[in-house]
Amino acid sequence: MRIPIFLLLLASTTLMSAQTTRIIPLRFIPTYDRNHTLTQGIHLQDSSFYSNDKDSIEIRTLKFYISGIQLNMDSDVVWKETNSYHLIDASNEQSLSVPLTIPIGIDFKRIIFNLGIDSATNVMGVQGGDLDPMRGMYWTWQSGYINFKMEGNSPLCKTRHHAFEFHIGGYHCPYNTFQCVSLPDHKAKEGINIYILLKELLSTIDLARTNQIMTPGKEALWISKEVKKCFTTFLDVR
Amino acid sequence: MKKLIVLLLLTSLAFSAYKVTDILRFIVPTGWPTPAYDFTQNPLSTDKIALGSALFYDAILSRDSTISCATCHSPYSAFTHIDHPFSHGIDNKIGTRNAPALMNLAWSTSFMWDGAIKHLDMQALAPMSNPDEMDESIKQVVSKLQHNKRYPILFFKAFSDSTITGEHTLKAISQFMLTLVSCNAKYDSVLRKEASFTEQETNGYRLFRANCASCHKEPLFTNNQFENNGLSVDTSLHDMGRMRITQDSANYLQFKVPSLRNIQFSYPYMHDGRFTRLQQVLNHYTNGITRSKTLSKPLQEPIVLSSNEKVDIIAFLYTLTDKTFLNNERFAYPKNILQ
Ligand code: HEC
Ligand code: HEC
Repeated sequence: MRIPIFLLLLASTTLMSAQTTRIIPLRFIPTYDRNHTLTQGIHLQDSSFYSNDKDSIEIRTLKFYISGIQLNMDSDVVWKETNSYHLIDASNEQSLSVPLTIPIGIDFKRIIFNLGIDSATNVMGVQGGDLDPMRGMYWTWQSGYINFKMEGNSPLCKTRHHAFEFHIGGYHCPYNTFQCVSLPDHKAKEGINIYILLKELLSTIDLARTNQIMTPGKEALWISKEVKKCFTTFLDVR
Repeated sequence: MKKLIVLLLLTSLAFSAYKVTDILRFIVPTGWPTPAYDFTQNPLSTDKIALGSALFYDAILSRDSTISCATCHSPYSAFTHIDHPFSHGIDNKIGTRNAPALMNLAWSTSFMWDGAIKHLDMQALAPMSNPDEMDESIKQVVSKLQHNKRYPILFFKAFSDSTITGEHTLKAISQFMLTLVSCNAKYDSVLRKEASFTEQETNGYRLFRANCASCHKEPLFTNNQFENNGLSVDTSLHDMGRMRITQDSANYLQFKVPSLRNIQFSYPYMHDGRFTRLQQVLNHYTNGITRSKTLSKPLQEPIVLSSNEKVDIIAFLYTLTDKTFLNNERFAYPKNILQ
């Protein structure tokens, strides 16, 4: 009989401490372009097809790392997540929402995060959780995380099964693909929504010519800069 | 009363989270540099090392359970693939590089002939996933281990967690490899003043210091750098060496300087295993140097050695053979665990 009393006590103390912070979900919403009204974004499981103006594109895999999440008031950092490494996987609903635990009373105007894994972590010993090589985002033939992975099919690709594969990574200068994304916050009630407009990336790649990038280098660096441009907090539905 | 329950709960929590494992200290031989490996991130313990040795010798790590790490890295030849210029892997596929000897890895700052791997923990991923070597993914390996009758218990003993992860698998393999320390050759006894060189060995040592030690730096017999030691390009392989990783032409044909410890038994030599005898290696350094833009400085002036002097250097190189390392029971196939 005493145990429930104790549990009640415990529950109330955790509740009290919870009141000094709030949870803001940081939601990643992969979508095709601004016209795409699907606020839910694309579901890779349904193997949705997207018309790239004239050609269809099927995206099978979309995975990337987000790290070093911070919130800014103009140029001042007001909050920083510790040990901030997240694997976002479009085929795993749960991974698309990152809960940020933020002290009450903190106001911010910008959300800033890195796309990929910093060079120090790339050369560290093996890590667990989202950084576990088991997640399939670590190169095996050489050291380094794959920061961004997109795989799919398009009739434009004259490859086996018309497949394209982009494994973007590399932490060495001058081909460091670690990119910083800084976006304005829109004070949405439900949290921070970040749309990923894949058209921004797919329209710059000539899939007939470039359909496989699996190593660090010039091309990977270029793609990483294009990927960065896909992220937006602003979705203008026409 | 409430207080008492809280206290009890806390102690039992603390108790379950803490398991008494003997944390081992890694002993650095006198006069050796500080290891590059950060042991605080992966503290050695008897159970972890035992688990690592089981994994190292178990073919479960390969797709069809035919190849283990020890297939290519045999304990009897300083953990290299003796007599094979190229390592043989799964389905009898042949790789393009010679398997290096595995020893003193705690001091290495990079791995593979071209330094593709920056941390020992990540090394095992490469052969596991290589379609010509073990052809298996770490995810698949973890799932096989989890469903094996032996491993969940071994992982629990080692990490107090029977849920197997990639992190724990790789950390355990590292632990076993870190114990492969070779520091008891005749050379070491001489430095410790417990033995002395013969006249021939003394002369060989002098010549070695003058011609070779800038790259094969004592006491590890490597400076951990990438150098072009003037090997001619094998046009059938066209291995660019370090440049493959950096994509910088300044690194063309540079390879990691290998240690020369136990060199007597780790033939064939060089990244492509082109030489089978040390005599051929010495002839290369005196007469075989191919000049190119990236040829390392110490080799730009020709090395002149008489045939007697070459024999003396080889006699010295034989003093780097560490019998206690080559026949160490602790590194052998863990019969008690695997059978
Ligand atoms: C099919 C043969 C083969 C198998 C199996 C194999 N290796 Fe290797 N290993 C090699 C070759 C070849 C190299 C050098 C490759 C290179 O430099 O590109 C190497 C390199 C290494 C190195 C780097 C040594 C150094 O000083 O740079 C380590 C460490 C290593 N292997 C450990 C392992 C472990 C652990 C396993 C089991 C998970 C394993 N190997 C399985 C052939 C093999
Ligand atoms: C400029 C640096 C340099 C100097 C000086 C040098 N080496 Fe080397 N040595 C290397 C490199 C680099 C390799 C590996 C080359 C490769 O496989 O492509 C190597 C490989 C070797 C190997 C083969 C090791 C193995 O495990 O396959 C032996 C033996 C060797 N050297 C002996 C010597 C001797 C003896 C001398 C002096 C006469 C010498 N080296 C001088 C850089 C050097």
